[in-house]
Amino acid sequence: MSRKNSIKFSLIRGLAAMGIALAVAFLLILFSANGSNLPEKFSSSLAALREMLISPVIRKNGTFSVKGLSDVLAGMIPIMFTGLATCIMFAANQFNLGAEGGIMLGAFVTALVAIYLPLPTPALMVVAVLVGGLSVGILMLIPAVLKAKLGVSEMVNSLMLNYVIMYFINYLMNSYLADTSKGITQTFPFRANALIPQMINNGSRLSWGFVVGLIMVVLSWLFMYRTRWGYGIRMTGINQPFVMYSGMNVALIVILCQVLGGFLAGIGGGIEMLGRYNVYNWSALPGYGWTGITVAILAGNNPLFVPLAAFFMSYLTKGCTLMSTNANVPSQLISIIQAVIFIFFAAQQFMSGYRQKLVVKSAQEEQAKARQEGERSDQ
Amino acid sequence: MSEEYAIQMKGITKVYPNGTMANQDVDFEVKKGEIHALMGENGAGKSTLMKMLFGMEQPTSGEILVNGEKVNLTSPTVAISKGIGMVHQHFMLVPSLTVAENMVLGMVPTKGGFVSDYKKAVQLTREYSEKFNLYVEADARVADIPVGMKQKVEILKALVRGARILILDEPTAVLTSQETAELFTQLVNLKNQGYTIIFISHKLNEIMEITDRMTILRGGRSMGIHETSSVTPQEISRLMVGRDVVLKVEKEEAQPTDEVLRVRDLEYVNDWGKKMLDKVSFSVRKGEILGIAGVEGNGQKELVDMLFGFARPNHGTVEVNGQSVLGLNQRQIREMHVSMVPEDRMIFGIAGTATIEENLISDRCTFPRLNNGPLFNMKAIHEESARLVKDYTVKCKNPHQQVGSLSGGNIQKVVVAREFSNDPQLIIADQPTRGIDVGATEFIRKKLVELSRSGIAVLLISADLNEVMELSDSLIIMCGGKIAAYFEDTRDLTDDLMGKYMLGLERQEADQIRRVCHE
Repeated sequence: MSRKNSIKFSLIRGLAAMGIALAVAFLLILFSANGSNLPEKFSSSLAALREMLISPVIRKNGTFSVKGLSDVLAGMIPIMFTGLATCIMFAANQFNLGAEGGIMLGAFVTALVAIYLPLPTPALMVVAVLVGGLSVGILMLIPAVLKAKLGVSEMVNSLMLNYVIMYFINYLMNSYLADTSKGITQTFPFRANALIPQMINNGSRLSWGFVVGLIMVVLSWLFMYRTRWGYGIRMTGINQPFVMYSGMNVALIVILCQVLGGFLAGIGGGIEMLGRYNVYNWSALPGYGWTGITVAILAGNNPLFVPLAAFFMSYLTKGCTLMSTNANVPSQLISIIQAVIFIFFAAQQFMSGYRQKLVVKSAQEEQAKARQEGERSDQ
Repeated sequence: MSEEYAIQMKGITKVYPNGTMANQDVDFEVKKGEIHALMGENGAGKSTLMKMLFGMEQPTSGEILVNGEKVNLTSPTVAISKGIGMVHQHFMLVPSLTVAENMVLGMVPTKGGFVSDYKKAVQLTREYSEKFNLYVEADARVADIPVGMKQKVEILKALVRGARILILDEPTAVLTSQETAELFTQLVNLKNQGYTIIFISHKLNEIMEITDRMTILRGGRSMGIHETSSVTPQEISRLMVGRDVVLKVEKEEAQPTDEVLRVRDLEYVNDWGKKMLDKVSFSVRKGEILGIAGVEGNGQKELVDMLFGFARPNHGTVEVNGQSVLGLNQRQIREMHVSMVPEDRMIFGIAGTATIEENLISDRCTFPRLNNGPLFNMKAIHEESARLVKDYTVKCKNPHQQVGSLSGGNIQKVVVAREFSNDPQLIIADQPTRGIDVGATEFIRKKLVELSRSGIAVLLISADLNEVMELSDSLIIMCGGKIAAYFEDTRDLTDDLMGKYMLGLERQEADQIRRVCHE
């Protein structure tokens, strides 16, 4: 199938998935909507859908909301990083789920550096985020080395590691680090020069970390598709015996991709922390790692598609929040709607029949062309 | 009239999701009670056509009639219910279960509806075994029985399920000549009892021996149905490949010089305590092709594993240019200029969903000439892959096509292009032309001879007698993990003589065998 047809198919498929998902969502909302009769329920359901689809970026009076868009973009920051981290690990067939704990640990370590290490202005930010990233990268050696050397499932290990990280941080916070003058568990404030500046001062918390995220997208793509290490990672994901037979070091690749993934999740946590907050106060896993897995799957493990997938997820999250606050749709329903939309997008076989038709058509066209050329050369 | 036909496939076209047009407007008819051959090179569309007949794939267009009745074969279950049975090339048996358990898989006889009745399964197996004169050991575990018996189990499995039409996919590929002869007798037996048999093969002599009619496929199209008695092998060959292929490889006399590979007293006991290699010693010199012939499973696989660092011997030495390779990994062995064409190309030879280009650079991706500092030098990589695709006549749209979408022969050309182009001093070619089309086979064989004459040492392991005899300058035969014979000159060898050594009926004296060490 030609590239043009592929793109056409992807577009049509995406729109159809969206359409069906929305129809299902509409039915679900209708089910729980306010109103005593059907027309009333109908119009309040429409209003709820409007909240989800349009309200994130369009105000009530119909004008475009810069604040809305920057909120969505700000929401992309942490999930771009966890998405990239997951892409790199999943590309090698390493199902490491540690991005969740990784982003929490990265945020925590970065916060500590930002509070306690006196460094000059640009250095503190950079050092804090890097130390955050490195700490997670090093921690990921645990599942990575265990997998490479002993064949222990990295999925189980990394999953359990998330909770180890969370409870260990909570222990440190409660026992040693909390600012006891405050009513909730939080650290002392970060040094002022550690905070990442905002791109736009409207309360969205859209920091320059967004741009760092986009740069990391490009770097990750270059790494995966234009270096020998990324090549090794991708080949390992496709066929590990082939990689070994070709003379590459499989164990090293298995370790490398998880350490790198940990590093990316870690700096994501650091950037989120210094770009959005001025104290550390997370007491539970933030959920960005799980969303990152979704992002990586939607992006097909290709870093270049991570911003698109992250935008989609961030927009959907904001839309659903608005729908639940403004249109009285119960939050449980929101989760169902999110899941329905995701299922249609991620379903491999969805519309494969239509794809097959396109494939057949283009194969026949090619055959016909080849035959014509053959006849021409015969004459 | 259509009652006469067991199978009619009309105007079958199949396009795979990756865009490969595997069958195009194919008509295929099999009469009741005949043995019908389906022939064609690899990638000609034989397997696809049969998969559609067995319900494993659905045709894109066209219709299928079984016994004159139009059917919609949506799954193998449906095909079985229409009386179609298939014996796959790679056996679909559960090795850890007994023969009887495999026979009744999915239709287990029970006592009172719950408890499986093993005795009944054994009884059923024996009953069918006797009825069709196909002897199997009902109580033995499938893992422990020989290949020939496994095949009989597969045939009986299809018969137990009520098959009247049997599809055999390259049934002789794994059999010895004795087993093949036995199989043929049994097939003729089945035919006489009114069964219809579709026989997939590309071995001409077998086809001539037992089939009544044949259908030849080429490039996904049918080249017509022919009476076996009315065509000559030359005509068939021409219909299959579109020209007369002479599988004679011209080669000059070998001028072997220095020793490159030196194997001494190699012994290996496998995980189950079976001695797979027993005091194996030989040498391969620059400029010669040493062939290793033998029935599969006589230590060839283990030998290759030792040579390329996949396993370590219990005893003995392996040296390349005077340096031991034992304990080294594949990268280190490759750095000693050893190349290998692996037996199983789909597992070791390629990464299926990666591009042709990505498959061509796997052994050299760290070389400075393909890198600019940390980044790949994409220009150099594109140039290299374009050159290899051209030199090795890989048939593809461009080097960025998925390698898995190519035909078997072209996939093997990609493997060979990579392994032959990396300045090798020793090439280990393990079944280099297994299951690929005649054109690619000829190309790869010529290339091997050419490389050896340019001063490379070649070790050729092949189960294809023609291949080892045609290509090797000298030859060893392995049997039961030992070298059974060494022939310094392959020109006067006959199949008969080799067969005796391969099957262990004869064995040369130790000092005769020792000559392969060239000491």
